[in-house]
Amino acid sequence: MQLRLEHVTKRFRETVAVSDVSVTMENGVYGLLGVNGAGKTTLMRILCTLAVPTEGRITCDGEDIFEMDMRYRKILGYLPQDFGFYPDLCAEDYLMYVASIKGLRPAAAKKRVEELLHRVGLYSVRRRKMKKLSGGMKRRAGIAQAMLNDPKILVLDEPTAGLDPNERVRFRNLISELSQERIVLLSTHIVSDVSYIAKRLFLMKDGRIVHQGSMEEILEHTPVRAWLCTVSKERTNACLKKWKVANIRAGSGGNELRVLSDLPPMEGAAEAELTLEDVFLYYFGEKAGDDDALL
Amino acid sequence: MLYYEFRKILSKTGNRIALLALLVLLGVTCYFAVNGYGTSYTDEQGVSRQGISQVRKLREARLAWEGPLTEEKLAAVIRKHAAVIATPEYNSKDATEMNIAYSWTQDYQDIRQMICRAFGEFRSYDYYKIDSLSPEDAADFYPNRIRALRTWLDTEAKDMYTEEEKEFLLERYEQLETPFYYTWYLGWDKLFEYGPTIQMIFVLVMSFVTAGIFAGEFSNRADAVFFTSYHGRKKAVTAKLWAGVLLSAALYWIVWGLYSAVVLGALGADGASCQIQVHVGWKSFYNITYGQLYLLMSFGGFLGSMFLLLLNMLVSAWTRSAVIAVTAPFIMIFLPSFLSNLSVPWLSKLLGLLPDQLLQMQTSVNYFNLYEIGGRIMGEVEPLFALYGVLSLLLLPTVCALYRRAGRG
Repeated sequence: MQLRLEHVTKRFRETVAVSDVSVTMENGVYGLLGVNGAGKTTLMRILCTLAVPTEGRITCDGEDIFEMDMRYRKILGYLPQDFGFYPDLCAEDYLMYVASIKGLRPAAAKKRVEELLHRVGLYSVRRRKMKKLSGGMKRRAGIAQAMLNDPKILVLDEPTAGLDPNERVRFRNLISELSQERIVLLSTHIVSDVSYIAKRLFLMKDGRIVHQGSMEEILEHTPVRAWLCTVSKERTNACLKKWKVANIRAGSGGNELRVLSDLPPMEGAAEAELTLEDVFLYYFGEKAGDDDALL
Repeated sequence: MLYYEFRKILSKTGNRIALLALLVLLGVTCYFAVNGYGTSYTDEQGVSRQGISQVRKLREARLAWEGPLTEEKLAAVIRKHAAVIATPEYNSKDATEMNIAYSWTQDYQDIRQMICRAFGEFRSYDYYKIDSLSPEDAADFYPNRIRALRTWLDTEAKDMYTEEEKEFLLERYEQLETPFYYTWYLGWDKLFEYGPTIQMIFVLVMSFVTAGIFAGEFSNRADAVFFTSYHGRKKAVTAKLWAGVLLSAALYWIVWGLYSAVVLGALGADGASCQIQVHVGWKSFYNITYGQLYLLMSFGGFLGSMFLLLLNMLVSAWTRSAVIAVTAPFIMIFLPSFLSNLSVPWLSKLLGLLPDQLLQMQTSVNYFNLYEIGGRIMGEVEPLFALYGVLSLLLLPTVCALYRRAGRG
């Protein structure tokens, strides 16, 4: 299975939401990293045929996905960022309904729903109304619905948004389990969501893919180094203005700063191993601090 | 798929409240129909009472006049009335005495009303007209109906109709079979009186339910999953439409059936074979029976409801807003009432073809709106059924086509 995006552009009047994106994906987990407003959701919506690109094309094993129409949707699973459901249906009925519109026959649907309810840990609350599930449970119901048709292409848009750290780890593991023999594209602005599980990363900024590769490739090719240096509390503000600071840790002898710079920022600075969070900060600058981006 | 669409609709708290409200309003309407004006019986002491047992007494009294309304029977009514108005009780100023006199007239009140209409002007009604009649006048009862129309067409309505239309109306009047058959018809009468109310209530309440079927995907933000599913742009959309149509149709017949059963059960179902001209359609040029008018109301109400609810679903699919969708049936039902105050002849013809007319068939058969289609002159009932039958059928694929495109930006 190969999913190929060729010069995909999407314009909304004057705004260019996605600009000339060309990537190729084969089985495995792909992480789409970018700050809010980078164009990740628009790109995901195009991939799910919810939006039509203004320019460019997307092919699945060489065939245009919009021409494939139902055949493409048959192998597609999608968890939208703004995952909505029918609040008064119970989790089991919700999944049975989605199974029916995904074309599963009732007997197969029942079996698959039961299996997925167990897998995402919702079996004990299957008769509970969707609106009464916790945020994490709703997200797990979301991933279950996306998996109902055993999709060959699984698109997950910000799947961990709003989840507590425990739920996020659980979710990440679940995605990792589900990633066998399929393309999983996971969009997020939370670096840790993809750093462990993605085989390839796409860094998106202002509608463009600014950098792509495996985590190692990205770390290797990012033209910046990380430095640890300790400064007095009085000097911290001046340092923040002068350098890109990825982290500040307060200590008794002053603040330990993690500075991103080509050269040592000061005497005594010790070089540290570059992380994906550092890269994220380097590419996305101040916007990377929006919301819980660096969690 | 259809099963879960039904579950989606019926599990919504708002929809459950709407359906409960429909049930309550049905009960209230039935109560008013069964206990409304004309359902009380006045005994010989002049005391009026209401209730099912009193309706039975009234029915027994009226059935004394059951049968063809011949000249002799009409003369007998006029004679009996002359005797009543000569009594001191009738001429008394005391309310109880007057009620006692009324109790002697209540058996022939239906026939009295017909006589008053037959001997009055075409567009007026004088309750006391019978007081001035003699038994010999009974011979003019049926000819008077035609004469009054002819006079009206030659004077007041001189410029309102073409010669062909006038001829059509007179021909229809002359074709009416006489003598009328009279029997107890109060059950039908009350059913027709409150029928439009229950049909309008049904449409307005159901519009809350159907408005959410298409717009709900967007308001619940479930549209992305829906439209990216295998059947999301084809069968799943059709299932939504069928869920709306089947639920509306089933509930319409349940509500209408319950209403009919309660009203006819309480007030009696006799009179289905009476001409509508005996009461609700004295002036109507539709020569049909109460039973046929009931069928017209039932199917007219059904077609009107389905059209308005399909329109509601169309707006819902188009605008993605249940709130805007709900306003469509409201506008279609209430706007004509405001516009009808304007006395513009072409507007009256236009208003006669609006879908709200299907929800008030008992007034549609009484309107003198004439249309010439394919060289044939007809009233508004025939074009209403044809027009909204076709439009409803056209709305079905239109709703689906609009919604299929709705989820793609």
